[in-house]
Amino acid sequence: MNGTISLGTGRRKAEQRHRRYYERYLWTGGLLVFLFGWNAAELGLSARLFIEGLPHFLALVAEMFPPNWQVLTGGRVWWGILETLSMAFMGTFLGAAVSFVLGILAAGNAAPSRAVREAVRTLMAAERAVPTLVIILLLVVVVGLGPFAGMLAIAIGSVGMLGKLFAEAIENADPKPLESLESAGATGMQVIRYGVLPQVMPSFIANTLYRFDINLRAALFLGVVGGGGVGFDLHMAMSLFRYADALAITAVVLVMILLAEKLSDYLRRKIIGQEVLQ
Amino acid sequence: MLTVKGLAKRLPDGKPLLRDISFQVEKGEFVAVFGESGVGKTVLLRCVNGLTAPDSGEVVINGDGGPQRVNGKTGKELRRLRRRIGMIFQGANLVKRLSVLENVMTGRLGWINPSRSLLYGFTDQEAERALEALEKVGVKHLAFRRAETLSGGEMQRVAIARALLQEPYLLLADEPVASLDPKNASAVLDCLKPLTAQMAIIGVFHHLDIVRKYCTRAIGIRDGVVAYDGKPDVPRDVLNAVYGSEPRAWPVAAGQ
Amino acid sequence: MSVPAPGAMRLHLKKFRKYVAPALVATLLLWGASTVCRVDLGALLAGMPRGVALFGHMLPPRWEDFPALAGPALETVQIASVGTVLGAVLALLIALAAAGNLSPHRAVRELARGALTAERALPDLIIILFFVAIVGLGAFPGVMALAVCSVGMLGKLFADAFEEVDPKPLEAMAAVGATRAQIIRYAVLPQVFPSLIANTLYRFDVNIRMSIFLGVVGAGGIGFNLVMSMRLLRYQEAFAAILVILVLVVMCEQLSDALRRRVLGQEVLR
Repeated sequence: MNGTISLGTGRRKAEQRHRRYYERYLWTGGLLVFLFGWNAAELGLSARLFIEGLPHFLALVAEMFPPNWQVLTGGRVWWGILETLSMAFMGTFLGAAVSFVLGILAAGNAAPSRAVREAVRTLMAAERAVPTLVIILLLVVVVGLGPFAGMLAIAIGSVGMLGKLFAEAIENADPKPLESLESAGATGMQVIRYGVLPQVMPSFIANTLYRFDINLRAALFLGVVGGGGVGFDLHMAMSLFRYADALAITAVVLVMILLAEKLSDYLRRKIIGQEVLQ
Repeated sequence: MLTVKGLAKRLPDGKPLLRDISFQVEKGEFVAVFGESGVGKTVLLRCVNGLTAPDSGEVVINGDGGPQRVNGKTGKELRRLRRRIGMIFQGANLVKRLSVLENVMTGRLGWINPSRSLLYGFTDQEAERALEALEKVGVKHLAFRRAETLSGGEMQRVAIARALLQEPYLLLADEPVASLDPKNASAVLDCLKPLTAQMAIIGVFHHLDIVRKYCTRAIGIRDGVVAYDGKPDVPRDVLNAVYGSEPRAWPVAAGQ
Repeated sequence: MSVPAPGAMRLHLKKFRKYVAPALVATLLLWGASTVCRVDLGALLAGMPRGVALFGHMLPPRWEDFPALAGPALETVQIASVGTVLGAVLALLIALAAAGNLSPHRAVRELARGALTAERALPDLIIILFFVAIVGLGAFPGVMALAVCSVGMLGKLFADAFEEVDPKPLEAMAAVGATRAQIIRYAVLPQVFPSLIANTLYRFDVNIRMSIFLGVVGAGGIGFNLVMSMRLLRYQEAFAAILVILVLVVMCEQLSDALRRRVLGQEVLR
C-alpha cells in the first residue's frame, strides 16, 4: 500500500525493536547473575567449600544414628516441650487479646477518632518492623531469662500482624447490617458487638490459629536466646556435639509440631466450617 | 501427502468413537471435515499429528523424508514429523503473556537447536521471518503487542502465522473460525485459502457456506466411519444422512 | 406455657456445650500454660524500672559504631539474598518435578511433593543448627540454611503455580514439535513468571529476618554484633546495632515491595 520503501524501513525498525527487547532481558539477566556471583564471592562461598563440607555432612549424619532415646527419660526434654507449647499458647492468646482491642481501634469504620486510628496503625506497623530477636533481647533484661520472657516476646511479636489483619477484616465487613443497627438506635459499642463482631470473628480466630503455628516455631528460636523451652535443649545438644541426643530431641519436636498443626487445622476447619453451614 | 488407513479410536470408557476411517489428501487440497458434534472430528485431527494415539489403523505422512507413519512414533522422531505439520486450534492457544512476535517465532521451536532456544532465544533472521508471516496474514502492526490484548480474529491470524513458520506441508485447523463473528471468520479463511499452493489443509467447519466457498473437498463422518467424501457442494440428502434427520448443528444449511 | 421446660433445658444444655465447656477448657489450659511459663506480674512490674533504665543506658547510641556496622549489615543482606536465590533455583527444579502437569512420572511427582512437605514440617531452627554443626561458623552455613529453609515453601507455591497454568498453549507447542524443555521455557515460564518473582521477593522478606537471627548461632551478619553487645552489657553499642537492623529491615521490605508491585503491576496495567 505505502510502497516497498516504507514497508522496508518499517521492517527494519521492527527488527531493531526485537533486538532491543532481547538486549533488555540479556542485560537484566546478566546483571542479576553478576550480582549473585559477586555477593556469593564476598561471602566466601565456593563449590570447593560445598564439596569439602560433604564428608562432614555424612560423618555428622552417621554420628546422629542411632538416636539416643535415653535423653528423653529424664523428663528435662518433656518439660522443655511443655514450656515451648505453653510459651506459644500463652503468647498467642495474649497477643490475640491485645490485637483484638488494637484492631478495633485501627479499623477505619470502628475507630473512635482518626487520630487514634492513625496512632494505633503506626504502632502496629512499627512493631512489624522490629525483629523478634530485638524484642526478646530487651525483654530478657527486663524480666530475666526464662519462658516468661519468651512468652511476652511472642505476644508482642504477634500484635502487629494479627492487629493489622483484624483491622482489615473489620473494614471489609458488610456495612448494611451496621446501618440497620444504627437506625434502630444502637450505640457505637452495640453496633460493634452485634453488627461487626459476628461477621469478623471466624477470620479472627482462623488467623489466630494460623499465628499459633508460626509462634510455635518462633518459640523454638527463642530458646536459643534465653527464652527457655526445648529450643534451648536442642541448641545445647548441638553445640556440645551430642548429635545422637539432638536427633532424639528433633524427632520429639517434629511430632509436637505436626500434632499442634493438625490440632489448629482441625479447630480452624471446625470454626470456619460451622460458619459456612449456618 | 497424507494417508489415513483404517483408523480406530475408543473413548476412555470403551465406547468406539472412530471405527474405520480411511482417506487420502494431496497437496493443494482444502478439505473440510464435518459431522455432528462429538463424532470425533477433533480426535481425528489429533491422531494425524500424534497428539492422540489411535487404537489401530495407521496415519502416514509423505513429506520431505518419504512416507512415514505418525502413530507409534514417540520422542524425537515424532517431534521431527510434527514440526512440519501445522495445527490451528479453536482458541488459537497463544501464550498470552508473550508478545505476538515471540508467539509466532515459537513455530520454529521444532527446527532450531534446543539448547540455543533455551539459553538465548530467537535470532534476528527468525524475527524477520516472523514479521514476514505476520505481514502475510495482515497483522504485522501488532507484532509487539502482548498476545492477551488481541481480539479473537487477530489471535487466530497470529496462530496461522505461527503455523507458517513451521514451513508445513500439512495444516490442520480444528474449528478455527467457530468462535469468531462472520467478518473475522472470512478474514481468517481468506488467509488460509491461498496457502493451499504450498500445502494441504484439513479443517473442521460447521457452516455449509464456508465449505462451499473455500474448500475443495468435504469429508462427512457418522458413526465412526467416512459417510461422505466428495465435492464441497454437499447434497441435501447426504447432510440429512450425516447429521441425522434433525440438522441441529448445521444452522446455515437450513436457511438455504 | 406449661410444656416449654424440656425445650429450655435442651437450650441450656446446648449453650453449655457450645460456650461454657470450651470456656472451662480454655481457662484450664491458660492456667496450666501460665504456670509453666512462670507468669509473674510482680517480676514484670519490678522489671519496669529496669526497662526504663535500660533505655537510659542505651541513649545516645554510639554513633561512631555505625561505619563498623556497615560491613555486618551488608553481610546480612548478602546472606539473605544469596540464600533466597539459591533456594528459589532449587525450588524451581523441584517444583518442575512436583507439578502434576509437568512431572515426568507420577512416582517422581509424589517423591518431590513428599520432600517439599517434609521440609516445611522441619523447624527452621533445626536446619540452621544442623548446617552450623556441619560447616562451622561463618556465612556459608547461613546461606545454605536459608536456601534449604526456603525450598519447602517456595517449591510448593511454584508447583501450585505450574499446575494452574493454562494447558492449551502447552499443547500448541507440543504440536509444533517442541521438546519438553522448550515447552516449559516458552509456554509455562512466561505464564508463571510474575508469581514466581512475587513469591521469591516475599520469601526474601522472611529471610532477612532469619538472617538477622543467624548471627546468634554464629552464622554471620549483624545479629552477632547485637547479641554480643547485649551480653557484654554495652547497651549504647547494642542500640546502634538495633537502629541499623531496623533501617535494614524497613529498607529491604520497601525494596521488595516496590519490585513486587512493578512485576505484578505490569500485569494489571497491560
